[in-house]
Amino acid sequence: MSNITEFDIKKPKVDLNYASDKKPVHSDPNPEAKPLPKVTIDGKTYDFKPGDTIMQVAERYKVHEEIPRYCYHPGMPIAGTCRMCTVEVEKAPKLMTSCSTPAADGMVVHTRSDKVMKSRTGVMEFLLTNHPLDCPVCDKAGECELQDYNYEYGPGTSNFKEEKRVFEHATTKKLSDKVTLNMNRCVHCERCVRFTDDVTKTNDLVMVNRGWHKELEATTEAGLTNEYQGCLTDFCPVGALTWNDFRFKKRSWFLNRKPSLCDGCSKGCNIEVHSDSEIVYRYVPIYNELVNGHWMCDAGRSSYTSYTNPLRVIAPLMKHNDALHSTSIQTLLTDLQVHLKNAASIQLVVGTDATREEAALLKEKVPTIIGKNIAVSYFNGTNGVQTSADDKKLDELLKMKDLTPNTKGVEEQGLSPLANGEVNADIAILFRNGRAGIPKMKADQKVVLWGIWSQDELKSFPSKNILGVIAGLATIEKEGSYKNADGIVQKFHPAITHKGGALSAHQVVGVWKTLN
Amino acid sequence: MGTINVSKKYTAKEKAYLPAILIGMKITMKRFIQGFLFRKHDTIMYPEKKRDYSDRFRGMHFISVDKNKTENCTACYLCETICPAECIHIVADERDEEHNPYGVKKEKKPVSFDIDALRCCFCGFCEEACPKDAIKLSGNYELAVSSREEAIYDLDHLKRDMNGRREK
Repeated sequence: MSNITEFDIKKPKVDLNYASDKKPVHSDPNPEAKPLPKVTIDGKTYDFKPGDTIMQVAERYKVHEEIPRYCYHPGMPIAGTCRMCTVEVEKAPKLMTSCSTPAADGMVVHTRSDKVMKSRTGVMEFLLTNHPLDCPVCDKAGECELQDYNYEYGPGTSNFKEEKRVFEHATTKKLSDKVTLNMNRCVHCERCVRFTDDVTKTNDLVMVNRGWHKELEATTEAGLTNEYQGCLTDFCPVGALTWNDFRFKKRSWFLNRKPSLCDGCSKGCNIEVHSDSEIVYRYVPIYNELVNGHWMCDAGRSSYTSYTNPLRVIAPLMKHNDALHSTSIQTLLTDLQVHLKNAASIQLVVGTDATREEAALLKEKVPTIIGKNIAVSYFNGTNGVQTSADDKKLDELLKMKDLTPNTKGVEEQGLSPLANGEVNADIAILFRNGRAGIPKMKADQKVVLWGIWSQDELKSFPSKNILGVIAGLATIEKEGSYKNADGIVQKFHPAITHKGGALSAHQVVGVWKTLN
Repeated sequence: MGTINVSKKYTAKEKAYLPAILIGMKITMKRFIQGFLFRKHDTIMYPEKKRDYSDRFRGMHFISVDKNKTENCTACYLCETICPAECIHIVADERDEEHNPYGVKKEKKPVSFDIDALRCCFCGFCEEACPKDAIKLSGNYELAVSSREEAIYDLDHLKRDMNGRREK
């Protein structure tokens, strides 16, 4: 990951069965150390770590594009059931599954020989006997492994003349309110079953019956209950499991894919923001061994909705006749400056969802611009978390108690937590990006709101108390860095361009300076 | 570089212009007699009479319907993807489960399907790309409108029960 600037974290708790450091293996410089074993793949010889499978060696050295696979997923135990990844090993009588065969010293492997290609064509033809040709309706089309591999290895024609198998009762089955199952499309790779068994350990899914009638079912009547259901829809190689929130919203080939960070909790999962015309359609996790592995939770996955919320304030608002009106940033700041100059005491509360850069900027620049001594403190207020010491893991995987992304990063700037979680000044400037809580305050507390606020949140203040709202940018729209719960600093860049009237904190401070 | 004069001198026949005029008048009279006396025309009396084009003619699009008058379109966006003029705009959604006798085959539907006929270049790629034979190009070539907005046709306008490419 090019986005990460620091790597000082213990290994994540989930043991990833993966060639996660996709770098070549180097021999130990110590002359007495044993030389690394060597394997020959497609005519080239590579070093490998003892214990690597053929697939992992090929993955590390990027032999061809990739060895095709359905059942193998780097984050899960190996099953070796789909037979798509078979390769030819010299002196072995039959083809071997590269995902489950450990590489051995002196092994000679052919990944694209005629025998292998013929086998893959056969596997594809069998998978397609029952797979419906509904790609136009299927949401997976465009990012579907069945499509990709069929294009590359498939026979193009079929010898199968019979009627295709149809699961009448499971064509559009809601496994939960988040995931829909279309059993007709399933290729029985069982990634989903192994995910619930071994990664989330909730044992939600099971394959019932055998052979032609093999079918995916939830183990309980409640259906899927785990918090990582979105991952099922990510790694499902076909469109059998689809994410309801994204279902039928957009075709995958229209989507712009840019890396960013999830700011839903203090974990800081690496995500890809999928957008079209600067409208976000979904978040998808991207692999980062140090932070989130391959996964992300459902809450984080749907957290983009607070940024695409139509009630989000995306223009500077100024109080006039006890009501808020949209205005220019210059007018708003000029007006605020008068209020702030006359106030006896001012308190600046930085939410722990501010980036490190924003926290440093606010702490340094805002008191000098206003020209007063201002008490600057930070406030978290999610799930009862006050400081990073209160933060803890909620489960074995990713979920954290602290629902703001940068508590550690803000603490690092030398700010102190807000005493008693209550503001106590003439005017309070509340900076938050929609994730941190709103501190307690007295009924007639005058406030200046800065960052990301929705109309609903504004209603929680009496309208005459709000002096102005300075609209700010969301994580996916700005640049900065967060320090997550494990102490990793992760830098991110804008994934989409903000189309409203909101400005970054740096821009606001820049304008504010010129007004003095 | 001077100017090169390429004009040639008129011949004697060209100078005596009357023969040429008579040849022209002969053609004029021939056509006059053919049209006026024997009713033989190369033009038609549009719009009372319409020109009959071949079946391959590509005119205004329509969206075919099944016997329940439900559109065949499943909002797969293939026409929007292939359209070189970017004149098709689709918004998709899930069909209401209670009003969906087709099951999984038509679980996705277009909520809106707009074609901007002014942008369209009538290349017929959309028809070629359509996996459901839903969007087709009819023989309708009368596309005059009085404002640009009228040239954006929506789903209600495009949905037609047609006999092949021709009006029933």
